[in-house]
Amino acid sequence: MTTDPLYVELETTSNFSFLRGASHPEELVTRAGELGHQAAVIADRNSLAGVVRGHVAAKRADIPYHVGCRLVPDDGPEILCFPTDRAAYGRLSQLLTLGNRRAPKGECWFGLDDIFGPVFGAGRDQVLIVIPSEPADENFADTLAAIRRRVHASARVHLAASHLYRGDDAARIAHLADLAEAAGTPLVATNDVHAHDPLRRSLQDVLICIREHCTVADAGYRLHANAERHLKSPAEMARLFADYPDAVALSAELAALCTFSLSELAYEYPGETVSPGETPQSELAKLTWAGAEDRYPDGVPEKVRKLVEHELKLVGELGFAPYFLTVHDIVCFARARGILCQGRGSAANSAVCFCLGITAVDPDRIDVLFERFISAERGEPPDIDVDFEHERREEVIQYIYQKYGRERAALTATVISYRTRSAVREVSKALGLSEDIGAALAGLAWGWSKEGLNDDQVRAAGLDPSEPRLRQALALAMEIKGFPRHLSQHVGGFVMTEGPLSSVVPIANAAMEDRTVIEWDKDDIDALGILKVDVLALGMLSCIRRAFDLIERHHGRALTLASVPAEDPRVYDMLCDGDSVGVFQVESRAQMSMLPRLKPRCFYDLVIEVAIVRPGPIQGDMVHPYLRRRNGEETVDYPSAELEAVLGKTMGVPLFQEQAMKIAVVGAGFTPTEADNLRRAMATFRKTGKIYGFREKFIDGMTARGYDEDFATRCFKQIEGFGDYGFPESHAASFALLVYVSAWLKCHYPTAFAAAIVNSQPMGFYAPAQLVRDARDHGAIVRSVDVNHSNWDCTLEPCSQGRVALRLGLRQIKGLREADVERLVAARQRGYRDMRELWRRSGLSPKVLERLAKADACGSLGLNRRDALWAVRGLSDTVLPLFAAAEERDALLTLQNEPETVLPLAGIGEQVIDDYTSLRLSLKAHPMKLLRPRFRAARVITARTLETIKTDTLVRVAGLVLCRQRPGTASGVIFATLEDETGVVNVIVWPKVFERFRTIVLRSRLLSITGVVQREGRVIHVIARRLEDMSDRLVELARDDALAADELPLLANSATVNGPSLANQSNFPSRDFH
Amino acid sequence: MVTAAHGGIRLAAVNMPAALRGLEPGLTLAAARAVIPDLETTPTEPEHDAKALQVLSDWCSCYTPWTAPEALAEPAVGAGVWLDVTGCAHLFGGEDSLLDHLLGRMRRQGFMAQAAIADTPGAAWGMARYGRAASCENSAEAGWGIVSPGEHRQVLKALPVAALRPPREACEGLDRLGLRRAGDLYDLPRGPLAARFGDGLLQRLDQALGRVAEPVSPRERTRAHRVRLAFPEAIGHLDDVAAGLARLLERLEQRLADERLGLRRAEFTLYRVDGAVSRATVGTSRPVRDPGHLQRLFAERLDGLDLGFGVEVMTIAAPVVEAMTSTQLDLDEVGGQSSTAARREARLGPLVDRLETRLGRGSVLRLEARASHVPERAGIAASALDGRPLAVDAAPALDEAPPKLRPRPLRLFARPRSVEAVAEVPDGPPVLFRWRRVVHRVVHAEGPERIASEWWRDEALPGEDRSHLTRDYYRIEDTEGRRFWLFREGLYDVPPSPQTEASEPIRAPRWFLHGVFA
Repeated sequence: MTTDPLYVELETTSNFSFLRGASHPEELVTRAGELGHQAAVIADRNSLAGVVRGHVAAKRADIPYHVGCRLVPDDGPEILCFPTDRAAYGRLSQLLTLGNRRAPKGECWFGLDDIFGPVFGAGRDQVLIVIPSEPADENFADTLAAIRRRVHASARVHLAASHLYRGDDAARIAHLADLAEAAGTPLVATNDVHAHDPLRRSLQDVLICIREHCTVADAGYRLHANAERHLKSPAEMARLFADYPDAVALSAELAALCTFSLSELAYEYPGETVSPGETPQSELAKLTWAGAEDRYPDGVPEKVRKLVEHELKLVGELGFAPYFLTVHDIVCFARARGILCQGRGSAANSAVCFCLGITAVDPDRIDVLFERFISAERGEPPDIDVDFEHERREEVIQYIYQKYGRERAALTATVISYRTRSAVREVSKALGLSEDIGAALAGLAWGWSKEGLNDDQVRAAGLDPSEPRLRQALALAMEIKGFPRHLSQHVGGFVMTEGPLSSVVPIANAAMEDRTVIEWDKDDIDALGILKVDVLALGMLSCIRRAFDLIERHHGRALTLASVPAEDPRVYDMLCDGDSVGVFQVESRAQMSMLPRLKPRCFYDLVIEVAIVRPGPIQGDMVHPYLRRRNGEETVDYPSAELEAVLGKTMGVPLFQEQAMKIAVVGAGFTPTEADNLRRAMATFRKTGKIYGFREKFIDGMTARGYDEDFATRCFKQIEGFGDYGFPESHAASFALLVYVSAWLKCHYPTAFAAAIVNSQPMGFYAPAQLVRDARDHGAIVRSVDVNHSNWDCTLEPCSQGRVALRLGLRQIKGLREADVERLVAARQRGYRDMRELWRRSGLSPKVLERLAKADACGSLGLNRRDALWAVRGLSDTVLPLFAAAEERDALLTLQNEPETVLPLAGIGEQVIDDYTSLRLSLKAHPMKLLRPRFRAARVITARTLETIKTDTLVRVAGLVLCRQRPGTASGVIFATLEDETGVVNVIVWPKVFERFRTIVLRSRLLSITGVVQREGRVIHVIARRLEDMSDRLVELARDDALAADELPLLANSATVNGPSLANQSNFPSRDFH
Repeated sequence: MVTAAHGGIRLAAVNMPAALRGLEPGLTLAAARAVIPDLETTPTEPEHDAKALQVLSDWCSCYTPWTAPEALAEPAVGAGVWLDVTGCAHLFGGEDSLLDHLLGRMRRQGFMAQAAIADTPGAAWGMARYGRAASCENSAEAGWGIVSPGEHRQVLKALPVAALRPPREACEGLDRLGLRRAGDLYDLPRGPLAARFGDGLLQRLDQALGRVAEPVSPRERTRAHRVRLAFPEAIGHLDDVAAGLARLLERLEQRLADERLGLRRAEFTLYRVDGAVSRATVGTSRPVRDPGHLQRLFAERLDGLDLGFGVEVMTIAAPVVEAMTSTQLDLDEVGGQSSTAARREARLGPLVDRLETRLGRGSVLRLEARASHVPERAGIAASALDGRPLAVDAAPALDEAPPKLRPRPLRLFARPRSVEAVAEVPDGPPVLFRWRRVVHRVVHAEGPERIASEWWRDEALPGEDRSHLTRDYYRIEDTEGRRFWLFREGLYDVPPSPQTEASEPIRAPRWFLHGVFA
């Protein structure tokens, strides 16, 4: 028998009322439970974004929970709203959707009329608690009476009263009681809670400052006067409202009226994917078998037939047929539009998906184990992500909106939270720390651990850790970290429902035009068991489709993902050589050096190749054992017979995410649910840091079963590595197919492949300069941009002996817009003869023509870069159309009369630099080739010579910096890639050397490195000892008249040259980690 | 040096060590910090730079009366000073020694400077900035700074185009065409060149080559706001002085009105026959130029002036002036539109000035509302003359009307007085309290108004003093109808938050009297 009064805090604002609430929903719910409230409530401003988190926390804390919302109409008092049943909840959600859709992103506009209107059912079956305006409004009594009068008869209207501690509480509440009495809206006690604990006051103040863009010292009356806006115990509330015991008791009564729970939001699949007279299951079976006939025209293999039967049975048992149909529908649309797509994800690589055309990975080619992906036991919905061409994904998205309507389909949200860096920056601003200190602190963000910064780190940044304000800032930043900041759209997660989605969750406008987003994120949806389909974008698919198109047009061969000849040994030969620039997934430096070691010879090897160079296997130290076993240097054995079943495919070394999970079950004795929790913990590991409970259980479990402790530790490390970048076998298989297809294209049609990949930029690892260079190395003929020959995209042109040449597209020219190029091409007819004609016919502004001139694209007009620029400058920029004709005549005269001007010729160095400036590449020469005579004198060797140098020799190399990387898995080591005229050089900079040459490493565009040669297989690295910034040489190059144009072989139509330019850093972009 | 520019903070200028490590103006501060993490920065002050250049230009007038500053257009080009030394060089023993003298003295002042003398300003400009580098190339080391008469065309030829001071855009365009030396332009057809790069380029070329004139216009000196009155015979009567002052003030008013200025300070100086000088100074709270008002202010001071054996000359100067629109107030009053506050302010001004003049500087204060929940910080005393608050760490100014606060006592004690009180725990009002050994019984009470400390201020750090504690204020009335404002300092820890240790000693709250109502 408890003597505690019954109380529920109904006015609870969480931090999903962005920059207002100072506690997470979880904290509020948990604290409400601890304080002995009858139930917990979250009611944010015009939003339900935080309610699912509260719901989950309440389940864990085992306390009743009610969904609420603080409605803030434009023209009336704020009203707390609590739906009493599912229907009322739907109307609340629709009211918010209405307000959201009218307003720009992040706002919600509605008025009292909407509250009384049909969408909201005038508050039917809602509990409404009006919050009195403060300072008191003279008309409030009338407003309250009007609300009471105009809402639906079933709505309960109440008036909130809080102790505000402004000195007049007794009188004010007495007045409110009178108002309540007069209006017939009984008084209910609340505390306008903004935080779960009074200690959050300073954080609350900081949030206000961030919102108001001021410092605490300047915030004045915008801050709260005291810390009373926190959750109080029922006893305390009863004491405060000793004169109004009914008001306290009423809060609990009202809460009890609200029987609605988020668990009632049963998910229903959209029905339109099922033909009349069919059930989803029969429809799916029909489609699958029909698809199988198409896939295997010579008869479905027995293995596949069995698989399909088995899978269909499993899908039927779990009732997932509509999900497969939904995905199938989207894929069908894409196929009809000629948009290339490919499914991946746990259920994607099933025989059913292959037959449905969702994936092109033939189940005959790899060993699919469907149960692994979709398990009855887990009760978890299947997961299929579909990748589309990145440039055409929007069409698919709009199709989905169109098919299901804005009311039934929307993208999932992503909650953008404060990260360490942004938290520190905002907090230091609010505390009035100087920008310098703020920047210095934010700069330390890398070093933050869960506990924040230690004193030494602060001191290292030149700051005094004992400075109280600094300590305050650090502590507050730690607290604010993880606070939601705003909602953004998920990359492609779509939610579709049978009924109106807007009555499940409010829908809002996204920042992007034509996108609508729900207020919940992926985790929320998972928690409620709502299904989503991920519609993702993949650049490589665009590239492959373009390559298919080009090959069909110029070589007359039609290809699809599934029809590319399988298991071509030439393709594997090429990959074994590490010749993989541009090939999907395996073009990175790490992958390139792995290829010659792994020596892939079949499709499944590619699956392993894709999965092995990942944080998981690397951190788990699984890579080397696998390679040794594969190369026969180590015998393949298994830790136990039970693990042999798990690890058989990968020679006893766990490489895939599922294998690691299986080990947890089979080896460490986890229940499947526990293993799944472990996987989830991994996924959020970085965010929450809670994983350590599992570690002991895992390692103890394994050692108890007689496994080696070292093996157990490594397995766990690997699981940790899977956290953010998990790579299950099914994903790897989908990706491996794209690896194979892109490699096949590169191998057989290098020119078309190069054109396709340049046209799909930006994507992948390499810039056009390297892609073009690689194509030329493989014998492709590449022609320069030209106003008479180039289109926007790179094209193929016939050339001698039935071969094709790659004509660079005008898209390569910096700052040129596609629309302008379209005009240029449309007006081209039989070609332009001179600059004036180009100007007149195309109607392009001299500004645009100047860009073309700068790119040296006027060769076919007989103009070199400087002459073309001179000609462009002679065009008048301001001609009224009316006078155009007359002006034309005059211009002709002036043109005839204009004395001929002879401009000095540009040196080759300058031409190359100018090419880089405008096109980011040059077909004329590599800058290093021009500089070579000088470097040779300094004993700098070329990349090609490097291949002949013995290990441990000290060498000097130099080149343009292509990229600098600091992988998280390599503890501070920097990998840099240099390019010279003969190839690339891989450089490793150890942290100590990096600290010494920090500036040079970070800022140089042309770098010279002295270091020691190291080999691993066929891969050569130079371990840097000394680095030298040679960027100035590029500037010199542009200025060096001594390099005459005829000193080096040039390509046709670039005979003469031009202008200087700024050989500044942006001309030689590198892809860097910072 | 850093400056806030488009896209964040950028470097505006770098010193030698920074330049050697690869920093250059225009870089973002973030990028610079990536290179040198402990980079020291200080914001630019363009106004100060301009002023310093002005001063330098004035200083150069010791070489010629015709000097003019040239403001910094681009960091790469540097700021400069024009000197028209026509007919001045011989005073210094020729152009060589003038240049040496000038540069030597500038170097001693800490300036890095280069200078050149040529027939045309344009040629001198280009030589001063680019001449040295060009001459080094030609190994003609010495004397590069002086271009012999008639030689400028030849000398300029090798200099970069930038030496001609072309418009920036033209300079880049020429560079692209491979036209990089001034000489490259000499023989180009003028028509097409002008069509492509505008007349500005040709004008600069012609100016440098002396085809068109380009005078150096010296800067105009600012007029001092000072008027002077000399007497044929020394005057010795205060009345005469006052009369003279009146005439001076009228003339000063005229001059200030011409420039739409009002003075904030006036200096009255008397030059006596015995060579001594007497001075009187007055300040005003707002810009004024009304002779009547100023006369009244000076009247307070005239008595104290020592006239000695008589005054020959008197001046009045306004060293501090501010913009003042004379008409606005008049129009307002004619139309009856001016708010009462503005009118009151207008009337109050002269009074403040007179009180201030009579009682001494800083003796007239006014109360100002500030934005703070803490009562003693919500109102502060500020100088009535210039509005500067007396407190060092004042709460922020109010930029809008203050929120409606609960009543505050008419008299707020500067320091709350400690009292003993009996009250209900945890937050009941006092039932009785004792102040100065008198017991007051409370009949009516209202409260609490709970005001927490300003945690971000240094004083609010938890420590021996208790200013970090939250206060509960009550308005109370005792049996005799007297009204007080009391507060309880510190809260009873009720309810205990689950985070605080139960064993933590609860410090007993104390009571204070902070003010009395009428």
